Amino acid sequence: MSNEIRKLLAGYVDGELTESEQAKVEKALRENAELRAELEEFQKLKEITGRTTYADLPDEVWESYWESLYKKLERGIGWIFFSIGAIILLGFGLFLCFKGLFTDPNTPLLIKIGVSGLTLGVVILFVSFLRERLFAYKHNRYKRVKK
Amino acid sequence: MCSDSVLVMEIKSGNKKALGKLVERYKTSAYRLALGLVGNRDDAHDISQEAFLRVYKSAGTFDQSKPFLPWFYAIIANLSRTWLTRRSRTENRMVELDDVSFLLVDESNPEKNMEYRETISRLQSALLELPFEDREIIMLQHFRGLSYNEIAELLDIPRGTVMSRLYYARKKLARLMSDKS
Repeated sequence: MSNEIRKLLAGYVDGELTESEQAKVEKALRENAELRAELEEFQKLKEITGRTTYADLPDEVWESYWESLYKKLERGIGWIFFSIGAIILLGFGLFLCFKGLFTDPNTPLLIKIGVSGLTLGVVILFVSFLRERLFAYKHNRYKRVKK
Repeated sequence: MCSDSVLVMEIKSGNKKALGKLVERYKTSAYRLALGLVGNRDDAHDISQEAFLRVYKSAGTFDQSKPFLPWFYAIIANLSRTWLTRRSRTENRMVELDDVSFLLVDESNPEKNMEYRETISRLQSALLELPFEDREIIMLQHFRGLSYNEIAELLDIPRGTVMSRLYYARKKLARLMSDKS
């Protein structure tokens, strides 16, 4: 049985074929018992699924759908502003801290070296994390939505 | 009535009322599409809401020359995949029986439907065991009743591919169902 006929069998069950395609399937059906068994199997499946419906949500969930969605939207916007503000403040705070630390002649050299090492380590870890996330994003086989 | 594309353009400029209109138009479809993919009502509800939030955030990437629905469906499918991956990592993939009841017997003929309940239960379990792509095509054709052309447009695949994917998905589904009987 060819793949072409198999493919057409799906369309035959759903009434999606042209007249010539339909004639081709019917000819194959007359000649092939295996194909007839598959047709019967598919028609049975169609009958079963045709008798089902998806379970719906309770009315109150639908009534509050937009309200709850709107809350999530507002919260999301709130988090964006919060994050931007936090990054700015944290960055400025760190800048002041480092500036004071490194320009102060009384700060021991060992502390300066320790803080420099710590900062460098955090930066390397952050860059490594970002690179890993970027790699995972690029190789995500399920990525179908452009962001 | 505004077209979908016009609404998305308004959303892009921050118009939340336009998002509200789009939500009213597609909330049921979004929920049912997600339900067919993840097989759990609570998750489907959350995914549908998350999909609208993505529309709001990503409205700038929407290509106005193309229809809205395939773009929106891609968001739902993408979220559903991520959801399923996370679920399979954190817990057993088969959820509790109560959560699995995402399919109901059509109540138009209660007497005859009694005999179908067992079959529907097997169908549910079999659907949840199908690979994502197979469940997706079955859901769109059998449960959403889309034509091959509509499915082809939605998934951005040729019509012939719809047919062959349906053939193999049905074969797997029938085999899984017979294994459970």
